[in-house]
Amino acid sequence: MNTTVVRLTARSMLGGRRVLLLAALALLIVVLAVLLRVFADIDQGEAAALLRAVSLGTLLPLFGLIVGTGAIGPEIDDGSIVYLLAKPMSRATIIHSKLVVAVAAMFTFAVVPTVLAALIMVGGSGSLAVALGAGAFAAGAVYSAVFLLLATILRQAVMLGLVYALVWESLVGSVVPGARVLSVQQWALSVAESIAAPGLLSADVALGVAVVLLVGAFAAATWYAGWRLARFTLTGPE
Amino acid sequence: MTQPPEQAPVGVIHNIGYRGYSGPRLGRQAVTRALFTHSLRGIFGLGRSGRSKVLPMGMFAIMCLPALVLAVVTVVGSNQGVITRPPLAYTSYAMVTQAVIAIFLAAQAPQAVSLDVRYATLPLYFSRPLERTDYVAAKYAALSTALFILLSVPIVIMYTGTLLAELPVAEYSSDALAALAGAVVYALVLAGLGLLIASVTARRGFGVAAIITVLALSYTLTSAMQGLFGHGQDNMTAAGWLGLLSPMTLVDGVQVWAFDAQSSTITGPPGTTGGIVFCLVTLAVIAGSYRLLLARYRRVRL
Amino acid sequence: MSVIATNELTKRYPGVTALDRLTVEVQPGVVGLVGANGAGKSTLIKILLGLTEATSGRCAVLGIDTATDGWRVREQVGYMPEHDCLPADVSATEFVVHMARMSGLPADAARERTADTLRHVGLYEERYRSIGGYSTGMKQRVKLAQALVHDPRLVLLDEPTNGLDPSGRDEMLELIRRIHTDFGISVLVTSHLLGELERICDHVVIIDAGVLLRSSATTEFTQASQQLTLEVTSGTDEVARALADASLQVRHDGSVLVVELAGDETYDLVRDAVARAGTGLVRLQPRRHRIADVFEGEADHDPAT
Repeated sequence: MNTTVVRLTARSMLGGRRVLLLAALALLIVVLAVLLRVFADIDQGEAAALLRAVSLGTLLPLFGLIVGTGAIGPEIDDGSIVYLLAKPMSRATIIHSKLVVAVAAMFTFAVVPTVLAALIMVGGSGSLAVALGAGAFAAGAVYSAVFLLLATILRQAVMLGLVYALVWESLVGSVVPGARVLSVQQWALSVAESIAAPGLLSADVALGVAVVLLVGAFAAATWYAGWRLARFTLTGPE
Repeated sequence: MTQPPEQAPVGVIHNIGYRGYSGPRLGRQAVTRALFTHSLRGIFGLGRSGRSKVLPMGMFAIMCLPALVLAVVTVVGSNQGVITRPPLAYTSYAMVTQAVIAIFLAAQAPQAVSLDVRYATLPLYFSRPLERTDYVAAKYAALSTALFILLSVPIVIMYTGTLLAELPVAEYSSDALAALAGAVVYALVLAGLGLLIASVTARRGFGVAAIITVLALSYTLTSAMQGLFGHGQDNMTAAGWLGLLSPMTLVDGVQVWAFDAQSSTITGPPGTTGGIVFCLVTLAVIAGSYRLLLARYRRVRL
Repeated sequence: MSVIATNELTKRYPGVTALDRLTVEVQPGVVGLVGANGAGKSTLIKILLGLTEATSGRCAVLGIDTATDGWRVREQVGYMPEHDCLPADVSATEFVVHMARMSGLPADAARERTADTLRHVGLYEERYRSIGGYSTGMKQRVKLAQALVHDPRLVLLDEPTNGLDPSGRDEMLELIRRIHTDFGISVLVTSHLLGELERICDHVVIIDAGVLLRSSATTEFTQASQQLTLEVTSGTDEVARALADASLQVRHDGSVLVVELAGDETYDLVRDAVARAGTGLVRLQPRRHRIADVFEGEADHDPAT
């Protein structure tokens, strides 16, 4: 991991409109939680269901898309990736550095607001908050790695990632039983389920399987992205 | 000194005689219309590379497919006497297929406007007899028309199925008209929001992600909260008001109140006040998006 | 009728004045607009086109006031920007046809004129490929084609030879000259390369930091002057002193001497001085002014209007 690359990526990702969108959405979740706490009585079950749908189901895949593709996409798009590729640095190092920034952004703008929202809505022991936080972090890390990989391979990564995030995770992942094993959302739910009070969240994937798949997907995506960047060829604008 | 003309290298400069142009020069309106047509064709990928046709045409096909299936089911079912009304209300189709609409909008709104910013082509447009208001009007009209096509063709397909199934025409004709009117409103609202978000950034990928995030998140939040208040807290009024918070539910609310349609969410706008507010907010969103777009293009540095 | 006329035209940005009370009149022909980078050339063009608004002052193009009737001006004017402005995913033909329609041409006329114009600028089979794969020279030609396709009465070319190799520059300059002589279109060319403009322009306008330095016909700049250039193999100072002793005005210009021509006898005096000094005579040449002299002269006396 190279601190200069980390710094550069952080500056480009957080120094523009991207960060405004992320911050606005993070704030939205927290404000929503406050409003619900003030104007409604919510029990743990309802809070869990709400945050599961909003955070794990929608917010995290989309944030993962924005942050994962944003870590390397613009540089590939305008060709300035060539400055990084020409340095005496292994391509895997570049990927790791960018992944660190992506995961950190995920943590700040998606995981922390989720935890805050859960705490605000329900208070109490906070086990729900920790559970959702852990699940969100797991999902966020995998999404970041997978979308970073996509952005390295494809110019139109965002579109395809979008289709995956929306169609697969929201529809198929929730509806078709067999396919649920392949849904990142379900793996994250499994992790959250194990920490939260019983009965609040339910996943269709056993914890062991989920953890193996999470770690495996993360490692595989990161490794493959480094491998592909090592064989990266610059093409002109399409 | 440079070479005399006859000795210029072949294939570079030929003195083949310049013909002036003394034909008609059409004014601003015709130019705006030409930009509208060009943009509309570009949104569907016509006149560009094959790759840029895949997504819009693909989404269009995916939009029409369920409608086709429903039409066939209606005809067959009605023949068998099993079905006496269309399985899905026409006005609910947009809500059901909103993921497809969202992907189409997210992909094509940047196609319409971000490219001009990214390639710095705007000075070429504005050094022609085209004012900034014309540019915005043409782009807005093009995207709205594209969305309307996307929304209305499935409705027509379903209506044809209903006709072929020889179900009572009068009732379902008015339903179809209501759905088409709703499609117009959907198209205007979504086009406005999509263009506004896309015009802010020159990076196409970010425009795509931002549009999708705004649409998906607003809907998920709104429907989750509506469920919470509506069922959980048994507060249908609050659930109704919450429909203002996302474009899809907003227009659905307008459909429910103005066209007497069936609500596709938990509940429609609460009472007459609610209905009027929904309509006003819809108009405000459309007008607001347009004004903001004009402001953005007035301030662009050329 | 003057093609461009400005009156006390001023453009101020926060912190910098791009144009300062510029008053200039330009007749039909090929006019060069010269200035260093940041002198205000592109700003002037943008104001002429109505892309930017002037802070104060007025300007008229083809007799039309740009502030009130901007779009009528833009119907008759073509613009070739300095920067990259071409989309990468369409072909040259498609792009120029679209631009022609944006200028108000009907569809058929647009297609016909595009084919003609692309031929005139020298794009043949390449015109069907995507612009993204073009070389700089080809891109400059496409930019020029979209400026000419609607048969304007005036074209504004902003640094048209940017990024071209020497032979490409020659071709472009030749083409620009033809735009006036063969096509009958007035041209305003900007450049910071003074030598280029001397070759093709009838009239030159020089601005520096937004202020008009000079505006006159090219011939006035490049008249043969009453000066001789004298270059010797060695002992330049000695020769200079000898000439000064003979009451001739001499100054150094780098490694050569510039001698004021006092009459026919000056040539003999120079020849004798060089022979007496025993050095070799490399060059004895009547000296022409160059446009660059205007900038050097600026250091000695006030800018001429």
